[in-house]
Amino acid sequence: MDKIKLRQICFYFACVAPSVKFIVYPATLTYEAGNDLLLAALGSFLAQGLVLAAVFWLSSRTDKTFFALLQGAFGKAAARAVYGAFALYFLFSALLPMLEQRSFVMLVLYENVPSVLSYAPFFAVSAFACSKGFKALGRAADLALPLFCTAFAVLIALAVPEADFGALLPVARRGAGIFRGGLFGLNWHAECAYPLFFLGRFERNKGDAAKVLLSFAAGAAAVLLFLAVFYGVFEDIAVLRQNSIAHISKYTTAFTSLGRIDLLFIFAMTLVNVFALCVPVQMCVHCTHAALPRCGRLWPALAASGALLAAVLLLNYSFLEMQQLVTQRLWAVFLLFAYAVPLAAALLFGLREGKARPAPRRRAPQSRRKRAPRSHRGREQARRIHPRKCRGRERARRLHAEKHLRQKRARLHTEKRARARSARQGAPARGGREEGA
Amino acid sequence: MPFAASLQQNLKAVKAVLPAEDILVHAFRAGDGTPCAAVYADGITDKKGIAELAVLPLSRQEAPRTAEALQKALPYPETKLPQDVAAACQSILAGDALLLADGVAGAVTLGAKQAAARAVTEPQTSVTVKGPREGFVEDIKTNLGLIRKRLPTPALRPETLRVGRHSQTAVCVLYLDGIADAKVAEAVKARIRAIDIDGVPDSSYIAKFLAQKPLSLFKQAGTTEKPDILCAKLLEGRVAVLADGSPIALTLPYMLAEDFQSSQDYFVSPYRATVSRLLRLLAVAVSLLLPAFYVAAQLFKLRLLPFPLLMTISGSIQGIPLSPGLELFFLLIVLEVLIEAAVRMPKYVALALSVIGALVLGDTAVKAGLVSSPAIIIVALSGISAYTVPDLAGTLSVIRLAYVVVAGSLGTYGIVLMTALILYYLVTSDAYGVPLLAPFAPLVGKDLGDAAWKESVYALRTRPAALRPKNRTRLRLVYRGGKEE
Repeated sequence: MDKIKLRQICFYFACVAPSVKFIVYPATLTYEAGNDLLLAALGSFLAQGLVLAAVFWLSSRTDKTFFALLQGAFGKAAARAVYGAFALYFLFSALLPMLEQRSFVMLVLYENVPSVLSYAPFFAVSAFACSKGFKALGRAADLALPLFCTAFAVLIALAVPEADFGALLPVARRGAGIFRGGLFGLNWHAECAYPLFFLGRFERNKGDAAKVLLSFAAGAAAVLLFLAVFYGVFEDIAVLRQNSIAHISKYTTAFTSLGRIDLLFIFAMTLVNVFALCVPVQMCVHCTHAALPRCGRLWPALAASGALLAAVLLLNYSFLEMQQLVTQRLWAVFLLFAYAVPLAAALLFGLREGKARPAPRRRAPQSRRKRAPRSHRGREQARRIHPRKCRGRERARRLHAEKHLRQKRARLHTEKRARARSARQGAPARGGREEGA
Repeated sequence: MPFAASLQQNLKAVKAVLPAEDILVHAFRAGDGTPCAAVYADGITDKKGIAELAVLPLSRQEAPRTAEALQKALPYPETKLPQDVAAACQSILAGDALLLADGVAGAVTLGAKQAAARAVTEPQTSVTVKGPREGFVEDIKTNLGLIRKRLPTPALRPETLRVGRHSQTAVCVLYLDGIADAKVAEAVKARIRAIDIDGVPDSSYIAKFLAQKPLSLFKQAGTTEKPDILCAKLLEGRVAVLADGSPIALTLPYMLAEDFQSSQDYFVSPYRATVSRLLRLLAVAVSLLLPAFYVAAQLFKLRLLPFPLLMTISGSIQGIPLSPGLELFFLLIVLEVLIEAAVRMPKYVALALSVIGALVLGDTAVKAGLVSSPAIIIVALSGISAYTVPDLAGTLSVIRLAYVVVAGSLGTYGIVLMTALILYYLVTSDAYGVPLLAPFAPLVGKDLGDAAWKESVYALRTRPAALRPKNRTRLRLVYRGGKEE
């Protein structure tokens, strides 16, 4: 089974997911919300956090996968249909960030040879990553943690001295703009649907939701800090700075003698971004594999990556049009799949499953955990240490004893009746059989 | 074919199986005049031992009538009763001597193997300033002895298997019972038993068969030439494989972090060891990425270089006919050729070739305007850096070439993508259930203390969790800094 660890989910939300919000998102948010960009982003994060909390509340009440839950409630065909719809949604949701990344690569990482071919090998990497399942996603998140932390810390440290935070005042000046900023930024906040597909694929423990929400809050805090510094550095011209991560730290005076050393950390952040961009494609391949298990993973991975490559080639010069289409017209699609469906699923299945399965206990740390003794003498002790483990064995023993008692009663009853019948006929009887008849 | 009671028939049967001229027969008579014979392979058998401990005692006493009695009559320390002629012939080929007597329907094999072996010396590939200097040799028994000397515990379980249809090479799998994961040991044995090949000249052949991904560019089994390192790995819960004729021992499961550890790290201060490990990590990054970034910076991203450095480089590359990518690729190939030649050339021509390599190729090429001085500096730095982790040097050189090609064609984003691809490949590679990139991905916090950095010996209380050892406790603290715990 495709497994992932809770720690890796936490790292994903703390380090990998925020990296896609450092390119066009700050400029878009500034365009809509001006100096209130922090409020708009905060609103989106709160909504996302609510969905995450709901999904992890569901995860605390069931150890089934989302597919199994759908199958149990609506049948296999419906489950496949939902997964198929999500596969298409994830594929679609991957498109705009890729176009965004493509223009970032062309404008920031190259100065003299812009070519779509330079970006095309990304799809080979994504196809490889997608064919490996959640293992690649989770372990990449493990590696992304130090990369992201170092790069983010250095870039912010280089940019903060140039920032004027007074530019963020006065607060809440653009009422409708804040709302629009939150709404049009939905495609950058679509990752709250992912944990729905991690259900049943990680070891459940009490306090999982708190850990994930804390990690998510850390990631959100990093994005908010970045947005504040970004607006503090550029103020009114922030809207023109599309590739914000590349511009935020470039005014540091030390660069005259050192060169653009910040580019090394931008490269590190770009690497994390590659991991992040692979995630929606990985989710798409996961959904396709679950809906159509016979396909395996390689073919869906190749197909999804090929389709996205074709789309990127076709929309090579249409980033702005695509951005307007996705953010201003199709925001409802993101609202539906990333927010409404996970919330509805959490409520529906959480209430259903909660009655059947209690929340798991918190596991004791390795050092305090004791192994149950195997010997017969130690069984009582084992029962005390592992009451839940022994519950099934006790129930089986009780059922067996009851069955044995029922059989004994039935045998005695048969013997009694046979004895009575033989007494009526005047012949001696024993054990239900007539002797010497 | 069973043994007959007649000496002549038995000798004829042995000669029928082993007609080679180096299979010698020494005929002699027992004390009562019974004809006897010792059959052995010339050159690999201890003739003096056979003469003193078998032939001489037997010539002074009455010949026994059974093989068991013959075995008991000899003061020889290592004897066996072969089942049949074929088994006896196999023992002769392995270096044992076969003792036959007329009237005895059987034989006795005498463990008299004496192959020419070099002395136990410090291996050239892992020289240490501090720490033990013994290294493995080509004789498996000597190697086992070196390990047994360090681990005189009944928990050490060696099991010897024969591999190779013709070579019949002894391959020994050993692990510490109660510490190593028994499933790994069984899996290793099963894979070795399944090998059907004509000969095994070195343990690297075995490594190919033990690999989960035989075509991988990265190593799949750890290697060491030093018994102290092998014992440390056994104590961590790994399984070791020794092959007769090879001084290189294999250890499984393998993690990439092992190659960044040196035996000296455990004999010096943990701070010094941590600095050394970070330097190795940095050196590997420099070795892989410096040539690629140099090419990418020149071709696509000039601002990556500080302005004065950019001016210097642009001054020195003026008039160079090759593009930066081709120039670096060409120089890296020259470096590889020099390394190959330096390894294989006779020592007495090494000095002359070094002069030619360094002066003629390097200096003259710059003066002739074929290559630039910065390119030579970068290639030299990259080449030297790779040898801070000698076990990875081969892999690094191949990846470095690929990086230069990618940087020359796709630029900086190509470098980023290639790094992502390599990382995805590494994080999804497992060997015997242990991730290749553990303890970094998946992150195993407790194991980081002996991987990314080096903690003091007090912190190494448990064995690496990634290896799933049966018994995790490595150190029971009684005293720490003079205080009782």
